[in-house]
Parts: sequence; C-alpha cells; structure tokens
Amino acid sequence: MTITPEFEAQIDEVITHYPVSKRSASLPLLHLFQEKFGFISDEAIAWIANKLELQPINILELVTFYPMFRRSPAGQTHIRVCRTLSCAMGGSYELRDKIANACGIDIEKWKANFAGRETGDEEHTHSTDLEQHHVHNAGHGNPIAVSADGKYSIEFVECLASCGTAPVAMVNDNFYERVDPDKPDRIAEILESRESDATKPKIRPPHPKEKRVVFANIDREGWSNDIETYLLYGGYQELKKALTMPRTEIVDEVKKSGLRGRGGAGFSCGMKWGFIKPDEKKPVYLICNADESEPGTFKDRYIIHQDPHQLLEGMIISCYAVNARLAYIYIRGEFPEGAQILEKALAQARAKGFLGKNILGSGFDCEIYVHRGAGAYICGEETGLIESLEGKRAYPRIKPPYFPAVLGLYQSPTIVNNVETLCDIKHIVKMGGVEYAKLGKPNNTGTRILCVSGDVTRPGYYELEVGAVTMGELINDICGGLKPGRKLKAVIPGGSSAKVLKAGEKYKLKEKQADGLMAEREITLEDIPMDFDSLAACGSMAGSGGVIVMDDSRDMVETLNNINEFYAHESCGQCTPCREGSLWMKKITDRMIAGGGVERDPAVLKSVADNIAGRTICAFGEACSWPTQSFVAKFKEEFDNYAKKPVPPPMPPEYNPDELIAKEKIETVPGARNGGVMAPAATK
Amino acid sequence: MVNVQIDGVWMQFPKGTRMIEACTQAGKFIPRYCYHPKLSSPGNCRMCLIEMGMPKMGPDRKPVLGADGKPEIAWIPRPQISCAQDIAEGMGIRTSSPMVEDCRKGVMEFLLINHPLDCPICDQAGECRLQEFSVEYGNAQSRFLDQKVKKPKNVELGPRVTLDAERCVLCSRCIRFMKEVANDDVLGFVDRGSFSTIACHPDRQLDSNYSLNTVDICPVGALTSSDFRFKMRVWFLKETKSIDVNDGLGCNITIGSRENIIYRITPRENNDVNSCWMPDSHRLNFKYLHNERRFLGPQIKTGSSLAPVEWPVAINRAAEQLKKYALTSSLAMIASARMTNEELFLVGRLAKALGIQKFDVLPRVGEADGILIPADRNSNTSGAKLLGLTGERPGARLPEIAEGVRTGAIKALLCFEDATRCGISETDLAKLESIVTMDILPNKTTALASVVLASSGFAEKRGSLININGRLQRLNRAISAPGEARDDWEILRDLIQAVSGSNGIYMIEDVFKQMAEEVSAFAGLSLSKIGDLGVQLLSGDGKAAERLDADQPVAKTPTA
Repeated sequence: MTITPEFEAQIDEVITHYPVSKRSASLPLLHLFQEKFGFISDEAIAWIANKLELQPINILELVTFYPMFRRSPAGQTHIRVCRTLSCAMGGSYELRDKIANACGIDIEKWKANFAGRETGDEEHTHSTDLEQHHVHNAGHGNPIAVSADGKYSIEFVECLASCGTAPVAMVNDNFYERVDPDKPDRIAEILESRESDATKPKIRPPHPKEKRVVFANIDREGWSNDIETYLLYGGYQELKKALTMPRTEIVDEVKKSGLRGRGGAGFSCGMKWGFIKPDEKKPVYLICNADESEPGTFKDRYIIHQDPHQLLEGMIISCYAVNARLAYIYIRGEFPEGAQILEKALAQARAKGFLGKNILGSGFDCEIYVHRGAGAYICGEETGLIESLEGKRAYPRIKPPYFPAVLGLYQSPTIVNNVETLCDIKHIVKMGGVEYAKLGKPNNTGTRILCVSGDVTRPGYYELEVGAVTMGELINDICGGLKPGRKLKAVIPGGSSAKVLKAGEKYKLKEKQADGLMAEREITLEDIPMDFDSLAACGSMAGSGGVIVMDDSRDMVETLNNINEFYAHESCGQCTPCREGSLWMKKITDRMIAGGGVERDPAVLKSVADNIAGRTICAFGEACSWPTQSFVAKFKEEFDNYAKKPVPPPMPPEYNPDELIAKEKIETVPGARNGGVMAPAATK
Repeated sequence: MVNVQIDGVWMQFPKGTRMIEACTQAGKFIPRYCYHPKLSSPGNCRMCLIEMGMPKMGPDRKPVLGADGKPEIAWIPRPQISCAQDIAEGMGIRTSSPMVEDCRKGVMEFLLINHPLDCPICDQAGECRLQEFSVEYGNAQSRFLDQKVKKPKNVELGPRVTLDAERCVLCSRCIRFMKEVANDDVLGFVDRGSFSTIACHPDRQLDSNYSLNTVDICPVGALTSSDFRFKMRVWFLKETKSIDVNDGLGCNITIGSRENIIYRITPRENNDVNSCWMPDSHRLNFKYLHNERRFLGPQIKTGSSLAPVEWPVAINRAAEQLKKYALTSSLAMIASARMTNEELFLVGRLAKALGIQKFDVLPRVGEADGILIPADRNSNTSGAKLLGLTGERPGARLPEIAEGVRTGAIKALLCFEDATRCGISETDLAKLESIVTMDILPNKTTALASVVLASSGFAEKRGSLININGRLQRLNRAISAPGEARDDWEILRDLIQAVSGSNGIYMIEDVFKQMAEEVSAFAGLSLSKIGDLGVQLLSGDGKAAERLDADQPVAKTPTA
C-alpha cells in the first residue's frame, strides 16, 4: 500500500470538510481507500486510524459495520444485484443467478457460503472447495463471490432504492434498471457497463392527476441538472427572498404550511424547527437525510439526480431559518453518481455565491458538504445518521436525552430533514405557508411523492396532493392497474415496514362532514385516501410513501420472509430485542418456506414481533415487527398451511432444523411431553 | 429532594438520582445488564424497562392533584429504560406491572436464544446475571428451534482475559470501561446485528493493566480471567473483605479463598478509594503466599545454617541477642512501611525498650500510572510516619545505617525488610554479630540471620493501614498462615515481653486500644469501628482529618 502525495492531499482536503471533528472523516476516507485499492486492508485501517488520531479498532468497527466496505479484493467488475422485496418480486434472485452464470461464478457454492455464514458452520465457511472458487466472506457485508479469473465479482445487496424499475443492479458505480433476467443480451450489456441508466435522459410527462411541485422538473424535456438550467427557470429566487426575511418569519411560514416530514414518521417540520432556540449559543447543524433506503421508496434518487439545486436551495433556506452555518447531505453509499452530482452542484452554487461566505451579500455564511454512507439502512434513523456522521457505528441514540434538536451532531442542536421535506421548504417560501397549506388536506398538507412498485402495470413515482387520490385510483388509474388477469391481494402503503393492508378488508374512517360533525364511514382498501391520517386510521402508515402492490400470485409467507431477511440484515445489533428478534423471525420464516414449519410457528412469530415493538432504542423495532405482526394476523391461513408439523419434543431425540425440514413425520416422546412422567414400560 | 412515586408509594430522593438507582434504594431492584453506575449509559440491553409517567397537567399548566393530594400521573404507554434518566418531580415508576414483567421475559428470551447455555462449564455460573434473572424471567423451555449463531470461543483477547463471544450479551460494558476508565480504547464491536462480536484490532490486544476489570463487570460469562478460569466454582469461595497492599492507595478488595487457598482477588467498591476498579498487577499478586518456600516456623542459626525451633526458643534467642546490644548505638533497626499500624506501633515500643536510636523504613517508589497506582508502592508509609518509624523523607536514615554496618559501628540489626535492598551489601551484612529478622519467604537477609521469625502474609492477618490520602483501612484474614508461622503482632508482642516484661496485650484489639491511647489520631477508634470502607484519619497533608463519628453507619453506596 503506497500513499502518494496526491492521494494524501485528497485525504487532507476531505478532512477539511469536518472542521469540528476529524473522526467524521472516517467513512469518506474508507471510501477513498476502497476506490483506490479495491478493498480495505488491515494496513489501511491502521493508516486511517493514525491519520485521524484514532485507535485502529475505531476504524475496524466501521469496516465491519457498513456492508459496502470489503476487507478483501472483489473482482475487477463488481456487480451488486438488489435482493429486496420489489426487486425480488421482479425476478432479482433469477437475475443474480443468471449474472453469476454469465460471469463464470458457481452460484450454488456461493449460496452454501451464505448458509455457512448464518450458522458459522465451519464445513461451509472454510471449505477448500470454496476457496478454490474464490468465494470469501467480506466481514458483515454480503458474501461476495469472485469468478475464478478475478474479472467479476457479485454481491446480493439490500435495497438499491429504485423499486419502480425492478429488478436493478449496479455494475461498479454504474446503475442499471429493469434488467430482465430472461434477456442475456441485456445482461451482457450491463456487464460491459458503458453508460449508466441513471445518467440517461428520461422524458416522461406526468399523469394528469399529478400535482407536480417538487418533481416539477423531473423527466421534463429540456431540463438538466446544471445550475444554468436551474437559474433559467427561476432558480435560487426563493433563496434571495428568504435572505430578506427574518429567520423567525420563515419558521412561522413553515409552521403555517403544516408540512409534515416526508421521511417516514410524518413529524411536523415547523415544530421540529421550533425546538431550536432563536438565541442558541451552541452552533446549530442541519443535515439532509438522503439515506433513502426504506424498501419501496425511491423518490430522493430522482431529486438528487435530476434537480440537485432544488435540494440545495431548500437546504440553504433552511440553514438560514435555523441559523445553521454548517450542513451535511448524508447520502446513501449506493448513490455514488448522486454524490458526484451533488458535489458538482455544490461547486456551482459556491461559484455563483449561493453558498459560502456572505451569501448574496446577506452576511449569512453557510457551507454544505456531501457525506456518503456505506450501505447501512439504520443510517436513515436520524440519531443513527448523526452517529455515522460522527464517524462511528450507526447506533441510534437513546431519547431522552439525545433529541437531535438539543443534543445532536457533536452534541449540538441539529435539524435532520428528509430530501423531499427540504425541497418543500423552497416552495413554502415561494407560495407562503398559508397558500401551501391549501394543497392537500388539513393536517395532511402539500404534495407527496408516492413511489409505487410491485405488481402494477406502470410502477413509478407520482407526485400527488396529499389525500387527493385513493388507493384504488392510485393503483387502477394512475398506475394502470394490475397485470392482466390478476387480482389485488395486498398493499404495503408506506415502505416495507408499514403494516400490510389486505384486499377485501374493511376499515372505519372518521371524517369531518361539511356540517362540521364527525361521521364514521366504512371503506375498503381501494377507498383509502392516500394521506397520513387516513392510512393511520386504517392501521398502517403513510410512512415514506413507498407503495408496494401485491397481486394474487404472491405467496405471503415468502413475501414476509423477504422482508424479514432485510430487517435481520439491517438490524444494527445495538439493543437486544431487535438484534435477536429480527434474525429469529427470519429463521422461522426461512424454515417455514423450506418445509419445516411447526404448528406453533405463526404464534411464535407474532409473539416475537410483539416482544420487539415498542421496546427498542429506535423505531427499527417497530419497522421490523410490524410486517410480521400484520402478515401473520391477516394471512393466517397461508401461514398455518406452512406450519403443520408437530412441535418436536424437547427431550431426545433432538432435532436440528435440517432434520425438521427433511422429516416427513416427527415422532413425539410421551414421557417428555407429559410433564416428565415416565411411560409405564419404563417402570418395569 | 424530588418526590417520586414508585409502585404506588411516594418517596423522596436527592436531585440527580437515576431512576434505576432510586428504585434500588426503594427496595425495588431492577434487573440490568448494560447499566453500570460508573460508566456511561447506552441503554442497549433493554432489561431495565419500566413503566413511567409524569404528572398530569391541567389546563392551568399545573399538575392535577388526586384525592390523596398527590399529583395524578399520566402514564406513558411505551415502556421506558430506567438506566439513562434522572428522576423528576412528580414522576411515577412501576417496576413490576404486567407490561414490565412481560418486557423482561421478552428480553431474557432474546438473550438466551443464541446463548450456548453451557452453565455447567462456565466460570460465571453462580454470579451470572443471566442465571439470576432467568430464575424470575426465564422460560422453562425454549421456543427456539433453529440454528444458533456461531461465534468465536476461547479467544485470548489479551494476556489475562479470555472471550467466549457466544456467551456475550453485547452490553458494551467492557468497551466503555476501557475507553472511559482505563483510557485505552482497544475494544470494540465488529460485525453487525446478531453477529456482532467484541474484538480488538488484529494488531492490538487487551493488555492494559486494568484489563481484568472488564471480567469483573462482564455480567455474563463472556469475559473470563485466564488466571481464574476453570479453577474453582465461585460458590465454594469464601469471600473476605480486605485491602490491597501493593501500593499506597490500598484498593478495597474481596479475597476469594477455599480451604486456605486463595483463588482470586477482585476489587470491592469504595468510592473514596478505588471506585470499583483495581490494577491487574495487584490483584494477581497473591500467589507468593502459596509459595512452597514459605517459612513454616521460626528458625535460628545453628552453626552455619538455619534450623527450625519452637517459638519460645526463637523468641528467647532473639530477645537475648537484642538485649546484648540494647541501649547502645551498635543496634539498628529497619522497619517496613508495609507493616500494619499495629505492627509498627509494637515495633516502636520494641525500639524504645531496646533504646534503638538508628531506625528507618525502606521506601519503594515507582511511576504513578495516573489511574489508580500511586508512586508510593508501600502500603503504609503514612502509618510509618504517624507512628514515628520514619521521618518526612522515608529512608533518609538508611545510608547512615548502611554506613554503620559497613564500618562495624553497628553490630546487630533488627530487620523487617531484606536489608540488602536497603543499601547494605551482603558482605557487610555477613559482618554483623546478630541479625534478627521477621519475614514470610527466604531472602538474602534471612539467609544470614541469627533468628528468623516466620510471620504472616497480608491475607493471613488482621490489622490496619493508612493510605496515601490518610484513609485508615482494615486488613482481614482470609486464610491462615502456613505451618507454625504466626501473626506479626503476636511475634512482636512476645518479643517485647521477652525484652521488657508483660505488656497487657492479649488480642490485636488490645494493640489498637493502646495505640489509640498513645496516638491521638487514632483516638476513639477501634479495628471494628474502621468498618469495611475505612475511615478518613488524616487529611492530605498528614494532619488529623475532621472525621465523622466512626459509630455512624457507613453510607450505603449502590453496587453494580
């Protein structure tokens, strides 16, 4: 490992992005090393630790936490195939196998390694056979299989946030959508990896029912992500306006707008900003949460790729409003192109005086830096994100006392907002809070970008006034309905952690009538208005706006298993219930679909989920247990069908899961299941 | 004081009390794994979940009072951890509601599904939090049918600590201890989710002199002491509260012994001395007590070699020899700043009876480590000063004594240290007409001695010591001395008796009593009044400290 002066200069420049704590540069440095050397060696870990005045374990902790980092080399061309729900429904398992075949990688052996990793089974993990096939474990990250010639390597990763174009894959840093596993030419094309689909211009007119505000320029003809284009269409005018307004007035406008956070929790943005004291003595930070990773959600990707200046303008206005002089965009590691686009946009904005010292002569200084994550879903949780930005494992913090608005980044007041939320700020300044609040419904104001994926004819993103359409209109009209001959089975309405809604269910919705009285009406799944309160009233949530539609061809146990695998993989492991429970639920559904389900499995699944929800440090506990709770309750018959074997006796003969799967019939030992009373024969 | 309702009863606690501590003080112990009062609170084990509520606020923003005149409590529907939050006025806590019990059962089950359940061969068995809480919150049968996560076992994290990662509950106490207390950020988590494992970077190891404290605070059997591992079931250990004698701080310790053999020494909490910690070097320094070369009884020189004799013979021989040089300048004495106050007091008496003019102690100075180990490696320099066995500069008179031995001006030596470590060469020592020494193991001085009085090690005797900060602390007997070896004070008492007649001392308590009559700093105290946590006797500058009446019960301090 040779560190050239140029490389070290690059490193030193990155470190300047973190004036408060050098430790924050850990992740960026690891990215630089992996880009340069292909993997992170122990030597590199020691070098980085030394550079940042840390202990080597501090860096090793990160390399083994963030799945994107590898401790051994991958192939020259590294392929990531998305494994998560929408892509799996679109055929990503098949795609993985086909790509592996095309690359000369033995997929069966690779899968065995997967199994070995789960159980730590030495036979699997240390098999010389596997070593010959260059299959190795790369820390926590997904096992990576490298072809014998070292040219290709493949990794089956969690959500790449493009569920509407499933199945998707990344080849090195290039991104490919709708990779049909049945088209060998397409696979050959992506393996050559000439041009990324992400940078190809797309032109798609909005659906007539859409109300494009944040997405006004997405897929628009003649639009580019360049600052000149942005300025041509009135860009940065709102920033100019905002800088003439008193800070408190902007906060008031945001309060009046009724804007609720678009990240998932739907918390009032104005209230969040209001937690920052106007006379705050400590520095205030603003962080844009661009760690879009809730399966089913893929809106931020397009804002970042196609309209980055809108986000920057929203951010600079927000920084001004809360008096933050330093802001970071925490962008997920799987968006390397997005990070570059943002870097370029930031440079352009800086050059034009929209960013930096004394912005537009207002006396307000503000700097924004891009910070790349490295493949950990938990960084979407705001305190986990803050820890990650501080250069640590993304362990969410306990609240109290660590409310970000009080003790956030570097123990200072910090505002963390979603990409879409920050874009909305620009429009609130433009329209005024009161005017903005006229969009949508009371307490559910504005527009939302709904991301629809799964079994619909036209999956994709649709910006709609909140509550303006119902689930039925969204699926059947806007998204072109289900595939021919299929019936609706279920919908996950707000990202994979939202509770599933079952077709044919009836919900009671309380609504304010014209006369001001509340009236209750019974509605079906198709009638649910797509807003925060209605979806909550129906027992689920609007969440991140990721709508995953499932038709009657889907097996609900397999679907839940896919979701469970995601959450088991993404649990940070900090607190007990989620760490142990998420993997346990996955093991149960794994065994069920392999044919080893026992009678009590559905009940155990529910009870495990119940023991997680509400008892963890962060909302991941709910995120991983709500799917199980709702799937098991609503599709009981399907789960019972998978769970027909008797519970094996606790006394000998003991069963291991493999035997449970293989055995047709499980014998029981009467004595063992009878409170220890010996069978009469034994007394003789 | 803050008013808090715990399980329906209103109580008062000082401001700043943690909820978990308030509950403990109220007699409602809350199970916990990750919480440790001396470390930061990550709130990760979720075992201490309780139901919490705050006063219900009326429209006037004032608490709504119930029929009993106390605030009504609005209970938070979600369970809350009690380890990270301080109590607040009007707070309500339920420590045993159905929801709380359910939470604990859930967490226990989660912690055990991937646990190897190898209690029969686990060193932690008997003092394991998993075992303890299983009694109340465990399931009789496992619902877990699947393969457990496999993790590294028998990992040498460092020279003294062994890790079994499968037993680990990932509470992070050890990581936090190394970072926050030992100032050696060497431990961390690698991997993620259920696969998370404690580890060091491959180039580093857990080799801090405080590494064994991680074993003490590990609530389960994940970290075990490589020294104690597989040696003894902890429930067979007799626990004796005593103090460490390896330096001037005197860490409070618990000696674990069985049938006269010490198996381990662990730190005992004393917030005025060592908090909950102690150095590895000190806790492992007990094996010399079981050295097979220990003196098993007194010996006298017969011809050119030492031969065992009965105690009266040895005492008489020693007295005879010392009396020969009494009241002359040819007799010198080297006392030890490692002796107890009682021993030093008697040594002082003996010196007076024999009219010894030249005496001092051997100073031992090392480098202070900035954590617990001070520069003074003698356990009772303060006592030696207070009782007049040395001056302001311990060891200042040793060169004079060494010179006297060299020139022949000194003909006899009463020695409680190895004289060769006090600047006296072996050759000079050999020139002396008489050497009376008292020790537990052979050394160069005992080899040349006329009389060797076999005494007791720190775990074999009682007595008191004054630490560098002027705190009077108590040694207790955990095991008995080997063979005919006797308590040091008894030997000295007999020697004084043989030199100058009866002295009215029958028990060690009598020594203390006489000492308290003569030395004002000890006035009003007795060995029993010192208590397990000691008494502040002197202020930092050696003056008598203002002390609380020693009769008052010692303040209760929370334990982990």
